Amino acid sequence: MNDSWHGRIGHNLFEPDRNITTGELIFFKLFELFVAYYTIRFVWEWAIYTQLRNVEVVLPLGLANYMDASLFFDHHIAPALAAVVTFLVVLCFFRLGPKWLYMVVLFLFHLLYVIRFSQGEIPHSQNLIGMSVLCFAVGAWFFSGKDRMPRFVLGSVIFFIGLGYTAAFFSKLIGTGIHWFDGRHLWLWISEKSVDILSRDGFYQPNFLQQLALNSTAVASVILLIGWFTELIGFTMWWKKLRPYTTTLLILMHFGITMVMNIRFDAFVIQLILVGYPWYLLLDRFIKVPPPWLKKIV
Amino acid sequence: MIQSESHRGMKVIGIILIVYAALVATHEGEFWPFSIYPMFSQAGNPWTRAMVTDVTNLPDNELWIRTPLHQKAGTAVPVNQYGVDQIDFSNFVSKTDEWTESRINAMHTMFGAENIGNNRWMVSKVHGRMVGADSVTVEIEPLILLTEEGAFLNPTFR
Repeated sequence: MNDSWHGRIGHNLFEPDRNITTGELIFFKLFELFVAYYTIRFVWEWAIYTQLRNVEVVLPLGLANYMDASLFFDHHIAPALAAVVTFLVVLCFFRLGPKWLYMVVLFLFHLLYVIRFSQGEIPHSQNLIGMSVLCFAVGAWFFSGKDRMPRFVLGSVIFFIGLGYTAAFFSKLIGTGIHWFDGRHLWLWISEKSVDILSRDGFYQPNFLQQLALNSTAVASVILLIGWFTELIGFTMWWKKLRPYTTTLLILMHFGITMVMNIRFDAFVIQLILVGYPWYLLLDRFIKVPPPWLKKIV
Repeated sequence: MIQSESHRGMKVIGIILIVYAALVATHEGEFWPFSIYPMFSQAGNPWTRAMVTDVTNLPDNELWIRTPLHQKAGTAVPVNQYGVDQIDFSNFVSKTDEWTESRINAMHTMFGAENIGNNRWMVSKVHGRMVGADSVTVEIEPLILLTEEGAFLNPTFR
């Protein structure tokens, strides 16, 4: 084992001393199926919305800084791109085609994102799926094979999730200051979300937790402080022994955000549930011999 | 995976981080899926959102009056019901500084004359901010009137 700090982190993320198991390979394909499903779902949602609703570029993002995203709004170009992504994802899943095919998926995924979200909003709820596709693209190209790709992909996904949460803590500290957890900030966010819900659905009724937060700055501050601390320790996911505990706290934090802010993070939470716990141990208890088709598609 | 590949894995992650930093540094912090802006990083700032209210029965001389949200005239029109994404709609309204004819008409296209029918709908900005030590105020500011015939900007914005 490499004793440098990055060597120790790498050891925890990629577990080089442990032999690959059948359960791990099956779990890896299930995880890939989850990423493939959300990739296809997102590109079609974005493409259909673009075709129906996008009118004018309000905010160019990413590659849209170098081209006119509105060229993709009409003539069913966006749905055509979504169809191409769907086809390529299926090829990638079954390991058909060149090793760099996932990179093409990543490129088109980015392209559809900047086309769809040229309307002013910069959503982040799809970032984890995007990062996962990136990890698959790098893994398939540089770490191909059943002994290497699953370890690299899952290890790097866990690395970026942990980094993302801890970075979010520091962004809040830099962006706002140590008083970020002032409960009145939560009041402002709750009122903002309440307007969105009122506008979206035509009615809004605060739930129990929101009423509790709105009635007391102390309660609102404690809610923010717990969430903020949980983000700070996100990087502890890098250590395999701590990972299930950190993951559980992060999942609870997301449920808290859903309750207080009415923002759901389905793909985030499902992904945390998948990568945060050693599900392969459970699968290994029931499946001892790898199915013959498994090696071909890993 | 063997030890040397674990080491290589960390090197590759390091390279991805360098690419990450280069892309977000040159694209105002956003190059999907890379981002340096997590949600809620800036707290306490005033916000502006948007909503639509049904003002069919409101007299013309009361159409453009700015009021607290809880005293708004007319009922909220659920934009979701008309296939409009609330977040997009809200950003379109709140981030537009200059209301050109094209932008005003885009509002009409977004909701569709067939949906508006014989009603009169008001697209409004909604402003929220902290006031004093213990309260938040939310005000609604009428912006664009939508009828079957077209879209009409608040006269005070011209």
